[in-house]
Amino acid sequence: MTDDAWLAALTGELRRHQVGPDLTAHVVAETAAHLRDSGEPAVRAFGTPREYAAAVADSVGGPDPSRAARPVGPVRLEVRGVTKRYRRRPVLTGVDLTVRAGQVAAVVGANGAGKSTFLRVCAGLTRPDRGTVRVYGRLGYCPQDGGTSEFLFPDEHFALVGAGRGLSRPDARREGRAYAAALDWTPPRSTQARHLSGGTRQKLNLVLARLGAPDVLLLDEPYQGFDRGTYLDFWHEVWRWRDAGTAIVVVTHLLNQLDRVDQVLDLTRAEAAA
Amino acid sequence: MRRTYAVAEAALREMARRRVVLAILLLLPLAFYLSRRGDHLGQSIRFVCLGLGWALSTAALFSGSAGRAIEPRLRLSGYSGRHLVGGRLLALWTIGLLLSTPYFLLVRFDQHDVRYGAIALIMALTVAVSAPFGLALSAILPRELEGTLVLLVVVGLQMMVDPADTAARALPYWFTREIGTYAIDHTDRGYLDRGLLHGVLAALVLTAVVTVAWRVRQGPRSHLEFVPLR
Repeated sequence: MTDDAWLAALTGELRRHQVGPDLTAHVVAETAAHLRDSGEPAVRAFGTPREYAAAVADSVGGPDPSRAARPVGPVRLEVRGVTKRYRRRPVLTGVDLTVRAGQVAAVVGANGAGKSTFLRVCAGLTRPDRGTVRVYGRLGYCPQDGGTSEFLFPDEHFALVGAGRGLSRPDARREGRAYAAALDWTPPRSTQARHLSGGTRQKLNLVLARLGAPDVLLLDEPYQGFDRGTYLDFWHEVWRWRDAGTAIVVVTHLLNQLDRVDQVLDLTRAEAAA
Repeated sequence: MRRTYAVAEAALREMARRRVVLAILLLLPLAFYLSRRGDHLGQSIRFVCLGLGWALSTAALFSGSAGRAIEPRLRLSGYSGRHLVGGRLLALWTIGLLLSTPYFLLVRFDQHDVRYGAIALIMALTVAVSAPFGLALSAILPRELEGTLVLLVVVGLQMMVDPADTAARALPYWFTREIGTYAIDHTDRGYLDRGLLHGVLAALVLTAVVTVAWRVRQGPRSHLEFVPLR
């Protein structure tokens, strides 16, 4: 790997670690100067871009602190008193959640705590026994699995979902490919969805949820099957969508991102309290 | 209409890529036709129409099941039941007409002394009925195997029951026997009228069943309110 390629990879990795653009530029410039002065190959001097970016991110204390000062907008999702039983077993008991524009809410809980059920209730795919959901604006939903058509190509998915959102075929394709690129994926032109790997199909699923820039995004563990780089890209995209004013609800069981979300809805605790 | 066409186009693409299924669909009515061609030409016409019905309703059943995964997403993306059901029906009717044409031509050139217009009518009604019939089964029965078994029972009954029996009229393809009798045996126009009425009613009732089943499964939810942003 040439030094230039190494520095480009470092820039991408720092971005994935939520290091702000100013600091990234500074670190890359410093690193480039060191490499120039020492004449050492970058890999020998600093290790892989991934390792070095992780070390930098650790030393500067994680994500860009300027994000903390972000203003939040009006309410976009309002869930009140949602209760759901399957047969006689309570799954959700009086669950409330309010998410504003520019906020990320994480829904956590043990297996069977009702995380996916909660999201399906929010999306109107499951009827609750009690409670109401109000969505301000348009809704995008990324299910844990499914959500695609086995025999269609990615571009055909973009066109189909885009037509529902009022996008022309070229616009839908352009937008879908742009979102895919942000997840480091170039959709193949003539591969049916059933022939995509599990992680790639989830990328398609996620891109479809985002198509048409909905105001509220419901994401049900959308990163299943993602490799590490794509997982980081996914969270980077979540922060970007949040900064653009989207209200996002993410179902997750991975707790290492919880300190970066705006609120956490723990359904395990809600169930235990009931 | 753009959304309806988008759904129809996607459904057509899905089906066009299931080449083995398409080949079986194309050949199934031929097997029905040839099974009685040697001993009873008239019966072979009735059988080929039932074969078409079976093939198309099976295609509709599988098409409806295939759509289950993506339809919730499409509904959230701005599609209504009218677009989703209408688009899929449009695709299935198109395939049905394409599938029927070679069989009509086969009858046209292989059979003599029959009323070809009435045979074309049977095939058109068969296409009209089979698409909502298969979609209704896919909407009501969640698994394809169950739907396929029901189709098998219906087509089997259709072949075995006495068409004069009142209960036979409850079967979706009863009209094929009535109009077939008019076309092949040159009976009076009453057979044609009864068959036509039955076929049209069957298509309407089954389309209504598909629409209602869709609304129950994926229609608007009273707990969810969308507030548009201006």
